[in-house]
Amino acid sequence: MAHQRISSRRMGIALLVVFLMAGLLVSRLVDVQVVRAAELQEQSAEIRTTSEVIWASRGSIVDSFGNDLATDVDRYDVSADPRRVGDFRRDGETVTVMAAMAEIALITGANADELLYAVNSNPEAHFTYLVKGVSPEDRQVLRELRNPWLQMDLVRERTYPFGPVTANLTGMLGRDEPLAGVERKYDPCLRAINGTATYQKGADGIRLPGTTQLVEEPIHGGDVKLTIDSDLQWYVLQTLAEHGSRLGAQYGSAMVVRVDDGHVLAAADWPTFDPNDFSESPVEFMGARSISSPYEPGSIMKSVGIAMLIDGGYTYSEDKIVAPGFYEVYPGRFIKNFLVADDRQLTTAGVLHTSSNTGISVLADRMPKAEATNYFREFGFGEVTGIDFLGESSGQVLPVDQVDVVTRYNQFFGQGISVTAAQMASSYQTLANGGVRVPLRLVDGCLTNEGEFVPEPIAEPLQVVSASAAQQTVRMMETIVSQGPLRNILEIPGYRVAAKTGTAEIATSTGYGDDRVISLAGMAPAEDPEYVVLVSFYKPQTSRVSTAAAPAFHEILSHVLKHYRVAPSSEPAILPPLTW
Amino acid sequence: MTALAPSVVGAPRAMKPRAVSSTRQKAKADAVPKLRYIVVLLAGIFAILGGQLLLSIAVSGGAYEIASLKTDLRGSQQQQQIVGEEISALVAPDTLATLAGSMGMVPDNNPAYIRVSDGAVAGEAIPAEATASGQIFAVTAGTESVVAPEIVEDVFLTISTATALEADATDVLAPQTAEPTASTLTVAEAPAPRFGGSIPSPVTR
Repeated sequence: MAHQRISSRRMGIALLVVFLMAGLLVSRLVDVQVVRAAELQEQSAEIRTTSEVIWASRGSIVDSFGNDLATDVDRYDVSADPRRVGDFRRDGETVTVMAAMAEIALITGANADELLYAVNSNPEAHFTYLVKGVSPEDRQVLRELRNPWLQMDLVRERTYPFGPVTANLTGMLGRDEPLAGVERKYDPCLRAINGTATYQKGADGIRLPGTTQLVEEPIHGGDVKLTIDSDLQWYVLQTLAEHGSRLGAQYGSAMVVRVDDGHVLAAADWPTFDPNDFSESPVEFMGARSISSPYEPGSIMKSVGIAMLIDGGYTYSEDKIVAPGFYEVYPGRFIKNFLVADDRQLTTAGVLHTSSNTGISVLADRMPKAEATNYFREFGFGEVTGIDFLGESSGQVLPVDQVDVVTRYNQFFGQGISVTAAQMASSYQTLANGGVRVPLRLVDGCLTNEGEFVPEPIAEPLQVVSASAAQQTVRMMETIVSQGPLRNILEIPGYRVAAKTGTAEIATSTGYGDDRVISLAGMAPAEDPEYVVLVSFYKPQTSRVSTAAAPAFHEILSHVLKHYRVAPSSEPAILPPLTW
Repeated sequence: MTALAPSVVGAPRAMKPRAVSSTRQKAKADAVPKLRYIVVLLAGIFAILGGQLLLSIAVSGGAYEIASLKTDLRGSQQQQQIVGEEISALVAPDTLATLAGSMGMVPDNNPAYIRVSDGAVAGEAIPAEATASGQIFAVTAGTESVVAPEIVEDVFLTISTATALEADATDVLAPQTAEPTASTLTVAEAPAPRFGGSIPSPVTR
């Protein structure tokens, strides 16, 4: 019995101990699972959860054939934690810091001393960049170094595969934002918004299944499609560079416009810059002068003036006039001609052919100045073109009440009116297109990331002058190519070409100086023009007459005709007489 | 699952004292079917636990596979990008013009066209001048030298090496093809030296 009592007491104690321990465990359980559950879970999730950036690509800028002019690529920023940098072992051999840096330098093309300096200059820092923008190829090689302190992070970088060719139009991307051109103006279409996601990972760094949570969806940018033909643009830019440097010009611009739809196929500015590396480029050459720099165009405006006069019913190609040696605007103020001081019996065609300032003044006198101003505006001068470029200049057409007695004549030969190369090209498109101005077009539209093409609005064409007035003017311009002193340079075998030269004086604060803008504008084939070409050089030094721009114009126009397989002219030209 | 297991396992143990207190005969007779239940029950529990384990291994194995496939995908995308960048560099007008120049080509802006229907020639074909410029001009201000991408340099090197090899190969192959089975085939087979047999170099005129 005693034995039984003892054992039951023992049993009781044992039970008590068990219950106490169980109670302890239960209370701990309740504490962990209920009381502090939320807090603890949060802490653990925090330790396991990683958030990552889901990169979204900024849209590309593409040319009319879909070639990338600006696009996003993967790059890596190579960095290190200076506190951890040290010798390490690889394949049983010790790799010193010096040797490791030399390896990195060899692969990335960086300077080993600079890499060492980056690490040594602040050994207590937690982070320092070694090389930025390493290509995926180089990164692969860097990984094979098995360097324990080397860190590589993915970044997206903008690259311009054709470099400077279309830099004036695409503009470039700065560190955080687009700086110029289409990149900036069409940022709403191109812009991408990076997404984020969170996931939990185990001790081995592998994602735990089913824990990935998309916090923000990445939004890829859309593509902007230009009307530019980058092959042609390259050729035009090369031609500008060749002739511009030969002429010692400060800069040069050229444009090629398709007549029937006003598409700008090439708009080149020389010199330009490399958008991939523009830190050293002079700021003044980072834009598109052909669109944003107005100038007084000079005699290439005469074709426009003549077309206006014909359309107004004030003259016609065979109209006989006497172009005086000097045209007296008011007593003591004369308009004179280039090299010619005699009175000449010219037709209106002859006036344009010889680029007679006095001849066109005689004709301009017939048109009221308000009507002339109106025509200039209808041709698109004084307002931005359909290109609608960032920083585009509208040039200046003086209001009628400010057109003085001299400017009234000057405007007809391109002084006292300021225009951009783009506006000038647009006015020649009008002449080439039977008097119908189709607003220029540089950006075709935006291809959104959903695959929808949103075209840029197409502006309404405008009949500025009659088809007859435009065609008569083109015939007159043909005489310049086929019968003028420049015919040996300008003629393109097999094609009828119409063109007009221009040498404009550059206005300075003290009047007109010695510097000139020389230009040539024209079209081919003249019987039914398909392409307009405009070339201009600013402040040429070796030659200051417009003939100096002729070789570049000829090269570009003949290249255009070949490039687009334009059928050679089959009809002979019937041209107006020049004198009487 | 884990919460269920101890209570079920505990149940037969709790019954054990009662079985002992009753008659041994009955206990012995009952023990066999009870043992069977326990075995079945335990086997079931372990089967479920094992199944669950396998399932979870499969799922996490899938996670590893996804991770590795994602890495592969990323690698392939980057490979595509690398190749894309190389193609862009190679089709860049500068590169094509330099290559064409290195092969002795000069631009000619005076082509003529033959109309297939009647054989009529349109335009006036004028041969290009041998002195025509094939030079590439620097177009940027300030930074005058444009560095050609690595791949482009490689292509120049490859072309000149290939041409040199081909020129050698032609010499070696010449005696072998000298005994043809069909004379018409040899014309097509004999590798004509490209670029007129000369070695093009990236140096332009």
